[in-house]
Amino acid sequence: MSTKQTIAIIGATGNMGSGIAKSLSKTNNRLLLFAQHTDKVKSLVEDIKKGNPAAEVEAMECPTNASWEADIILLALPYAAEKEIAAKIKEVANQKIVISISNPLNETYSGLVTSPDTSAAEHLQQLLPNSKVVKAFNTVFAADFANTIIDGKQIDTLIAGNDAQSLDTVSALAKAIGLNPLVAGELPWSRTLENMALLLIQLTMKYNYNWVAGWKVLHN
Amino acid sequence: MYDLFFRKFNEKVALTAEEEAFVKQYLTPKKLRRKQYFLQEGDVCKSICFVEKGALRAYVLDETGDEHITAFALEGWTLGDLYSFIKAEPATWNIDALEDCELILLSKQAHDELLQTMPKYETYIRLLMTDAYMALQRRTTYMISLPLEERYLAFNQMYPTLFQRIPQHMIASFMGLSAETLSRVRSRISNRK
Repeated sequence: MSTKQTIAIIGATGNMGSGIAKSLSKTNNRLLLFAQHTDKVKSLVEDIKKGNPAAEVEAMECPTNASWEADIILLALPYAAEKEIAAKIKEVANQKIVISISNPLNETYSGLVTSPDTSAAEHLQQLLPNSKVVKAFNTVFAADFANTIIDGKQIDTLIAGNDAQSLDTVSALAKAIGLNPLVAGELPWSRTLENMALLLIQLTMKYNYNWVAGWKVLHN
Repeated sequence: MYDLFFRKFNEKVALTAEEEAFVKQYLTPKKLRRKQYFLQEGDVCKSICFVEKGALRAYVLDETGDEHITAFALEGWTLGDLYSFIKAEPATWNIDALEDCELILLSKQAHDELLQTMPKYETYIRLLMTDAYMALQRRTTYMISLPLEERYLAFNQMYPTLFQRIPQHMIASFMGLSAETLSRVRSRISNRK
């Protein structure tokens, strides 16, 4: 694929957003970054360009415009903030891939706020009925993007979604930033994926993994 | 966002409000800035684009790296590498934006689903393709049979807005001429008057 894809990252200055933005800026993609505080986005853009002057990355002042121009939209937002943004991008996200990376954690990180028969990704799909929602990167910690190999093993990113072409596209993105994409199945698999993130967070706090940890499926 | 798309659609086949809403579900609104690519040679053309605003061109590169413009698209026109779109084979065309554009994309998947589920869409596509084929027939006939001055006048009549808006060297390329030749042709025409 040589035609550059444009990826809008909404919520680009958070830990996850900036981690993904920095990784993706090294790939053959054009990035449009949006976050609430424009000055923070601008300094992130400067930061990325300092390390890689060839990176095509730009700060955007409006999430709707960023998403309108994008081929792929990545929401790097807390679960609670997705509803408001979804309303703003709904029309321009029509038919586009929208990547859901959020985990609907409660305040103490001890459980999920969603009921067991749904997930953050499925909620987002309801809010954006004509978009192709794909769950990905939610089981990966922010620090992992800078180093996708732990203990000599490449971190897996589990992926879920209903549209085969979109799953291929997101898998290719994951591969491009050094992760091993593993498609779990259709979007309801997000429930398991979000619980896996919760478990990884719990284990990390319990055993002091220092927020460098990931899932790896070992197989023959 | 979809105004012109549905105006053009309705000129071919009238849609009810419900049918417009149904078609809309399948459309992808997309902005493209000047000089950005919609498609590059070697990639599969996964969507065709309808121009709501702006202008695009399609071109091929020859062995020496020279560009030959194969098509333009202005507001209300549809463009894509049709061969690549239908056959899912690598495109031979490059398509880029001559101006900032607002496009409506129709993916192959959306196109196939609409063809199967909506007879009015099939009619729309049939008329769109028939128009495109007729334009191609005229253009090919002009290209191989008319002397240069007559060819210029015929093209100018066929695409008046294009000739006003697009730089002359690109018009020359589209007509299979060098910029110098086109300039001589134009001065010979104006000397006639």
